[in-house]
Amino acid sequence: MNDALKKYDVIVVGAGNGGLASAALCAKAGLKTLLLEKHNLPGGCATSFVRGRFEFEAALHELCHSSTSENADSVTKIFERLGADMDLHSEDTLFRVINRGEDPYDLTLHAGVDNFLNDMEAAVPGCRESVKELFDLMAVLDEAQEYMNGPSMNPSVLFNKYGDFMRVAAHSFDEVMDAVGVPEKAQRILETYWAYLGVPTDDMNALHYLSMVLSYIGAYPTMPGHRSHYLSLSLVKALQDHGGEVRFNTEVTRFLYDGDGAAIGVVANGDVIYSKKIISNIIPNNVINRSDPEKIPSHAKKLASARKLGMTFVSVYLGLDASMEELGIKDYSVFIMNGSDPREQFNTRKDGSIYVVNCLNKVLPESSPKGTCTLFFTIPVMPGDFPETVGARDYKKYKNAVAERYIKDYEKVLGVSVMPHIEEIVVATPVTFARYLATPAGAIYGYANEEWDNVVTRAMLEAVDYSIPNLHFCGGSYIRGDGYPSAYLTGAMAADKVISELKEEK
Amino acid sequence: MSLNDLKRTDIASMLAKRVKAVASSSGEVKDLYSYYPNKLAAELHPAYQELVVEEIKEHSPDMKSYVLAPNKKRGAKKLAWFSAGQYLSIRLSINGAKLCRPYSIASSPADTLKNRYMITVKRVWGGIASEYILDNWTVGTSVTSSAPLGEFTYEPLRDAATVIGIAGGSGITPFRSLAYAIAEGDEDCELILLYGSRTLSDAVFSDEIAEIAKTCPRVKLVNVLSDEKKKGCENGFITAKLIKKYAPKEGDYSVFLCGPQAMYRFVDKEIETLGIRRKFVRHELFGEYFDPAKNEDYPKRVKKSCKVTVRINGEEQTITCPSDTSLLRAMEAAGIKAPSDCRSGRCGWCRSQLVSGKVYVPAEVDGRRLADKDFGYIHPCCSFPLTDVVIDVPKAK
Repeated sequence: MNDALKKYDVIVVGAGNGGLASAALCAKAGLKTLLLEKHNLPGGCATSFVRGRFEFEAALHELCHSSTSENADSVTKIFERLGADMDLHSEDTLFRVINRGEDPYDLTLHAGVDNFLNDMEAAVPGCRESVKELFDLMAVLDEAQEYMNGPSMNPSVLFNKYGDFMRVAAHSFDEVMDAVGVPEKAQRILETYWAYLGVPTDDMNALHYLSMVLSYIGAYPTMPGHRSHYLSLSLVKALQDHGGEVRFNTEVTRFLYDGDGAAIGVVANGDVIYSKKIISNIIPNNVINRSDPEKIPSHAKKLASARKLGMTFVSVYLGLDASMEELGIKDYSVFIMNGSDPREQFNTRKDGSIYVVNCLNKVLPESSPKGTCTLFFTIPVMPGDFPETVGARDYKKYKNAVAERYIKDYEKVLGVSVMPHIEEIVVATPVTFARYLATPAGAIYGYANEEWDNVVTRAMLEAVDYSIPNLHFCGGSYIRGDGYPSAYLTGAMAADKVISELKEEK
Repeated sequence: MSLNDLKRTDIASMLAKRVKAVASSSGEVKDLYSYYPNKLAAELHPAYQELVVEEIKEHSPDMKSYVLAPNKKRGAKKLAWFSAGQYLSIRLSINGAKLCRPYSIASSPADTLKNRYMITVKRVWGGIASEYILDNWTVGTSVTSSAPLGEFTYEPLRDAATVIGIAGGSGITPFRSLAYAIAEGDEDCELILLYGSRTLSDAVFSDEIAEIAKTCPRVKLVNVLSDEKKKGCENGFITAKLIKKYAPKEGDYSVFLCGPQAMYRFVDKEIETLGIRRKFVRHELFGEYFDPAKNEDYPKRVKKSCKVTVRINGEEQTITCPSDTSLLRAMEAAGIKAPSDCRSGRCGWCRSQLVSGKVYVPAEVDGRRLADKDFGYIHPCCSFPLTDVVIDVPKAK
């Protein structure tokens, strides 16, 4: 196709975190950029909503990879590159974990590597050395991972030069902890965060998990002052400041290809728009279903059908008419579990065996009016868990029944009274996420990062898996898995690819 | 054991597993709506609904109820389920003006399964939408609406077990729906309805709700008549004293209000004296905001009329907007199809970017997100121009 018809250098489909970052970076590089979003707001998960006198954070629990340190992975660096403000506030406790199963424990862990090691040593005397050894690995891994995600990655160099990296990269977090000799109870505590990556640690790639945990511990978790919506709007501003365009309420219903199978444009709101490059922030399943099947390589179709969808959630958002002090709530993040084993928690998740409750007022006292506070319950579920017996008529009752069960459980575990103080309540389920994100089954975490489909194999096979010319991907369904940092970082990766390809083509 | 005991070559078997899994997969990529959550989401929240007027009930020349059914001619088969208290945003095109109006659904939620919604329209003198509907809609008229919307619903984990419903005029409609929902088991609460009218003959649906109350002891109706004394009815206005008289003697109760703004202003003052916790007082949408200049924080010396440049997908159009008119109304009058639903500052569907210029947003209807305020986004339904402005508006769906 004649390039003269291509009005844009790049069209970015979907204004989730990945799409926002990639669009803003493309615009900054001087590319004529168009960002298309089906919803009337940017951000995807990174958003907020108002009910009465409360504004609720929709999704973010804590932003990791956000320190201003020299961490190569830093999300902050992307925002800095764009001149986009983040307004981050940090929290010094990582989490409180309450295991009321066998060998119960109730621990509060603090951020900062030394603080964390002290807390671990106090909880499991004698574990410090092995936990430290695990953490020390990360320095080597960082360098290797940067190489692996870089443009000139060569598997044999990776294999020979970065031996420890390959050892960690090829095994689960549990296997690596066993090899390093971390005592069992310490292992269980270190596994607390597993639901944030959606796969129990016996099947969770060690490199992936360790990198997330250490970024929380080392760099402190942070939250934006005015919810994630602030981060999303900050990126929209960067896009616009650099001459990029964004269109909301504009769903891409078709991806267009030329005779050689190269992507050349999209159909959005009935308009055909051509561009030199396309970046998809939407999951490959949706791209495949909106494309001429003959233009999609059979490998891409087989990969999409072989993959398992990642985790999603039931979220309960409560606005309470009493302050956290009045209610006796002390923690930002509380993980509540029946038993310490992630696999067991995963298998019995429908019995309420794992959930997280956040009180944003701990990090941001003024995040709700004086004399009030908010709670945010996160209950991990898998696509397919939502019962098909619940129809439109029963849906409200179903939502309230689930919410009631978890709120009452939380009251019992923490010994606090919440129910009489509910001034606002919103319950989101996979149906809600299916509505707003339009992902299959309302999946939030893209594809499950399970055994063979983890960050390492994804990175190694990236070129094979994503082979349609001029079409790049980013976001939670892409190679780095779920989470805000992964989405921003893959957005930056996609932008860099587009920028360098267009430079070469010139 | 040490890290060296883990084989780095294991990566090869992991890759082999992946290759095998991919090779042996069917290559079938399932349709999005074959996933149940997506299917249910589409059923609950269609982007719009194509309806047809099936029946008209005339309460008076100035008030009619319209029974709406799926418009089969336009391919509609089903209506979306709703919770009692929700509304439909009805889209209208009147003499070149594109606008929409929210109307509470007056029918029982269960009627949805019989493919019926009902809305009730009361003439607002000078109100172009109500006049247009009352004078033009006939049986067979095609109507486009939103999905059911709104938060004026009974929430069992939030609200008290008893709801004192306070209705004024056509504000009875969501309570009619709630009364049916209670009787039919879709909602689980007691409803004590204080229904304010001038005379009993003005109290539309009063007989019908009394009929529900006969068989459902959880619903109670009290007609409160301002201009008439009648046996079995209260006389006067809905005061704190009257609320107290009918409220449960012990325990909490929620107060739900739906009616004209004047009623909110009067009854809110009465409720204040009752010392009810804020969480137990719920209002239906405030409704269109008029006359912003009456507010103390409204700036001095604002020019009477401002130029508004509206950008939609990069295309610009300049219109004028009197400073006492919301940007949304000005766009509608100019025939610009702008998104909107609640028209009360709450739902955020009209959210637009203020590219330049200044607007006034009355605090009581400012439902914006914090970051929207930080970055210059507005809800045109509740924004009044103070200077010439440029706004970027998303395309209406």
